[in-house]
Amino acid sequence: MKNNENNSDLNRRNFLATSGVAASVAMAGAVELKAQEPANKYDAKASPPVNLGLIGCGPRGREILGTLAVLPNAPVVAVCDTYGAFLRRGKRAAPKATGYEDYKELLADKNVQGVIIATPTHQHKQIVIDALEAGKHVFCEAPIAHTIEDARAIAQAAKKAVKQHFQVGLQNRSDPQRSFLLEFIRTSAMGTNAMARAQWHKKQSWRRDSPVAARRKEINWRLEPKTSLGLIGEIGIHQMDATNWTYNELPTSVTGFGSIRFWNDGRKVADTVQAIIEYKDGLNLAYDATLANSFDADYEMYCGSDSAVMIRGSKAWMFKEVDSPLLGWEVYARKDQFYEETGITLLANATKIADQGGDAEDAARRAVEESALYHALGAFVNNSHKVLSSVEDYITLFGGETGLEDYLTAELAGKKEPYANYMDGYNATICAIKANEAIANSKRIDFSKEWFAIS
Amino acid sequence: MKIKSLVTSTAAALLVLASAGNAMAAEWSYYASQPVGTKLKVDGTSTVHDWTIETSLVGGAMQLPPGFPLDKSIASIPEVKETPKVKVLIPVRRLASGKQAMDNVMQQAMKAEESPMIQFQLTEFKANNEGRKAGDPLTFDTKGKLTVSGKSKDVDLPVSFDPQADGKIKVTGSTKVKMSDFGIDPPAPKVALGLIKTGDEVTVSFEWLTAPK
Repeated sequence: MKNNENNSDLNRRNFLATSGVAASVAMAGAVELKAQEPANKYDAKASPPVNLGLIGCGPRGREILGTLAVLPNAPVVAVCDTYGAFLRRGKRAAPKATGYEDYKELLADKNVQGVIIATPTHQHKQIVIDALEAGKHVFCEAPIAHTIEDARAIAQAAKKAVKQHFQVGLQNRSDPQRSFLLEFIRTSAMGTNAMARAQWHKKQSWRRDSPVAARRKEINWRLEPKTSLGLIGEIGIHQMDATNWTYNELPTSVTGFGSIRFWNDGRKVADTVQAIIEYKDGLNLAYDATLANSFDADYEMYCGSDSAVMIRGSKAWMFKEVDSPLLGWEVYARKDQFYEETGITLLANATKIADQGGDAEDAARRAVEESALYHALGAFVNNSHKVLSSVEDYITLFGGETGLEDYLTAELAGKKEPYANYMDGYNATICAIKANEAIANSKRIDFSKEWFAIS
Repeated sequence: MKIKSLVTSTAAALLVLASAGNAMAAEWSYYASQPVGTKLKVDGTSTVHDWTIETSLVGGAMQLPPGFPLDKSIASIPEVKETPKVKVLIPVRRLASGKQAMDNVMQQAMKAEESPMIQFQLTEFKANNEGRKAGDPLTFDTKGKLTVSGKSKDVDLPVSFDPQADGKIKVTGSTKVKMSDFGIDPPAPKVALGLIKTGDEVTVSFEWLTAPK
């Protein structure tokens, strides 16, 4: 069991919250909003280890392996991929893991307590259902499925599996920075909500190459309308979910546009999409994503009558209106100047390395430890352990499972670390599916309440 | 596994007690711990703030001797001739504050891995009629052997029995203990702003729901 010093309740947020100093200067420019220091967070709060298996060793799966490697309590004991080359790369990233080509063999491995499913979206359903059936705790990447039927089947299976932890890979939900912002936004510090904007810009083709024709088809599932929810479904889902969460609402309708503007290589999935996602009372999210241009990368912006909040990765800034009331603590916050593009960055986190005096390896580790994925996987392990140890202790004391469900419901209510549960994942997936449909057909779709019900 | 064998032997011991009781005097009654409706908490202090860890998972059972008073309407509780047999088990790792980091500090201090169960065994049991009015829960002064972190100590534990309409008995009680009596160093985790020290004395209080079996 790990223990260390970083378990203070005295973080800056509490300090700010309790600080009684009245501010006397009206602030101009951007105020950085930052939650507590995330460094080494899980060394202090790590549960005992939970043995993990990864199903799907593609680029996303390997990113997950890289993140699990810096968690102190997430040993990867098994990896699985149907494709030999990917499996080898997975094993290289997790040298102690047993390799499987068939996920059913991985699920039969008694040493595996929790699985992370990072296969192509359209393959999730059966794997999730089999994994829950096999008694494993499950982390399923988002979107959970590419059809409403599959999404529903997954959500129902997760709901039924009370003895297991099921988490969806909407990692923002576990990011302490987001929870901090959410409190901030929900307390009306921004005034009246006016509108939201979000974007994801990256110049990349999404096409992957392989010398084998069949393999080429398989790895390019994201370019196939039958299996892909496109940019809005595979990427935009995280930002739509963030907006649903921030506004605490589900959308009422979505209007979309999509086209192939640049990657005209025979694909049928749009490389550039725009959508208006409507919430009630005229509150809208304007979203765009493109693979043709990378300017300004990705962010979300929530605009209110007193201020706007912009969120980029693990950072956020507030831009206040001149006539907005003083919050008091702005005086102490760091300010960054905008409208000053710095141009080319040759090394990720270059400024941080200079700031903190570490080498590139330290910086790479820090970048991982600040990522939402790190917090989400940390929460997955801690939550899985909470569930599995509760089940173990119950059976030890009471000799059986009679009454176990009631106990777990009472024991776990509100006690898990923040995470996206099956309902969050299901709702976001419905948004993704319908937004993609609107984009593919250049039309407006009104959300039916029934779509958001799992049975 | 250590926990398993400990619990199996405890359960076996209780079963032997139960069947022995049945054979000798059929009126010994057996009450088993209920997983829902039970609550145990430990309140402590520190240089920064007070803290609480709690659990709803309390195992074990009690056996009440023949003629044990379970009628709240009596004006005076008669002396109980035979000491009830009570054994309670609490998994250390279920004691939670809601903050994993603090729980880790606590569980390490309590040596949760070597001694995963807190145990309590009743040794003395006396009626307490002080200030009693008919209808009040039945109060007793008890002593028992409390084992934490592998160390045992006799503790005084005033309890009250509140028989429920459905035949269950809710036992409540509270006592103060010192961590150092069980070889536990009050945790003093180092944090950014210095040292947090936890107070040695803690208050253990519980509401234990048991049902006849």
